[in-house]
Amino acid sequence: MSPLERRYRRLIRAYPRAYRAAHGEELLDVLLGHTDPRRSRPPLREVVSLLANGLKERAWQATTAPAWSDGLHLGVTALCAASLAAWLPYAASIPLWCALSALALVLVVMGRVRPALPLALLTGIKSWALGTGVVFVDATPLPVEPAFLTPDPLYGLSGPLGAVAGPALACAGLAVLALREDRPRRRSPWWLATVPLLATAGPAWMSLDEPAPAVAVRIAAEAVTLAGAVWAGRLTGDLRWALAAALYLVAGSAAFAQHLMDQSRQDLAYWGLLAFLTLVAAVAPRGSRMRAFT
Amino acid sequence: MYFVLAALLDGPLHGHAIVGRVIELSRDRVKPSVSTLYGILERLTAQGTLIVDREEVVDGRNRRYFRITDRGRAIAEAEAERMHHAASVVRGRRDLGLA
Repeated sequence: MSPLERRYRRLIRAYPRAYRAAHGEELLDVLLGHTDPRRSRPPLREVVSLLANGLKERAWQATTAPAWSDGLHLGVTALCAASLAAWLPYAASIPLWCALSALALVLVVMGRVRPALPLALLTGIKSWALGTGVVFVDATPLPVEPAFLTPDPLYGLSGPLGAVAGPALACAGLAVLALREDRPRRRSPWWLATVPLLATAGPAWMSLDEPAPAVAVRIAAEAVTLAGAVWAGRLTGDLRWALAAALYLVAGSAAFAQHLMDQSRQDLAYWGLLAFLTLVAAVAPRGSRMRAFT
Repeated sequence: MYFVLAALLDGPLHGHAIVGRVIELSRDRVKPSVSTLYGILERLTAQGTLIVDREEVVDGRNRRYFRITDRGRAIAEAEAERMHHAASVVRGRRDLGLA
């Protein structure tokens, strides 16, 4: 295998697995046929194009599943990741609950919504119990102090509404999905990698007065993901990403609203950014070029 | 997209040939990257503007031949008509000595 072919094969991995299996060799054949064989590296234009079109193909492939249930599953996945992330800095104090929350997330990512539902319910009730000081299953000493990433105790800033909004929405979404005969599709395991990115500020609305690098990581992760939702919706003319973004925004807004009077201008600006991107994600599909073409 | 449809008006072609035909028809003005071309082919096929006419295996690699449908032909002709009208706006002025 020539270095050029090896590099093209690596770039074709930007495409979804199913597409690669069906058409990867055909694409490679045409790529090699249109590249000077003396080259060892693909032209930059083709590199950029392969990466961009691989991403586009991933977005298009996502639209093969029913829109509303797939969007709901996507939103529930994000909420479960955020719920686990909220507990991650406190894992040393509540290891069993963190493990259950992680298991729920793994099952949701695998599309196994029925076994995930009781786990999400259990961990959701525990969230509410920790937020309100009620004993549930085991008597966790309150406040739950963090081991890393954040200086604040668990739900110290967000209160009960912030503790329960995300898990409650996730459970409601899982219950709806569990009633359907069709199982949601398996999602990328990369969803598990988002947990440490979101774990920095706990469930409270993060303080931007003295933004730590970890807070900036969370802001960037959320903004980039929502921008991705805008892009995918615009490309395909599909609303599933907007639905998922709206679910995530509603859960985040609950914690934000509980302390509305105490929010700084920066906090408002950040919430405004998330709300704006969610709104754009909902509007963008209307202007889709592909929808106009059809 | 227009030149891809135009490239297929004379009969089914595979990816290799479509790239060459698009470059030829556009007089080197449109040179789609291979992955962009395939993105367009997949979308047009999903919309029913093109269909896969047949598949052949060459040197162990699959090769799809794409064929334009009646719907695709109608879209290409409507776009050609639109561009003809747009061109006539300027040409008409020139013919009247207004340009």
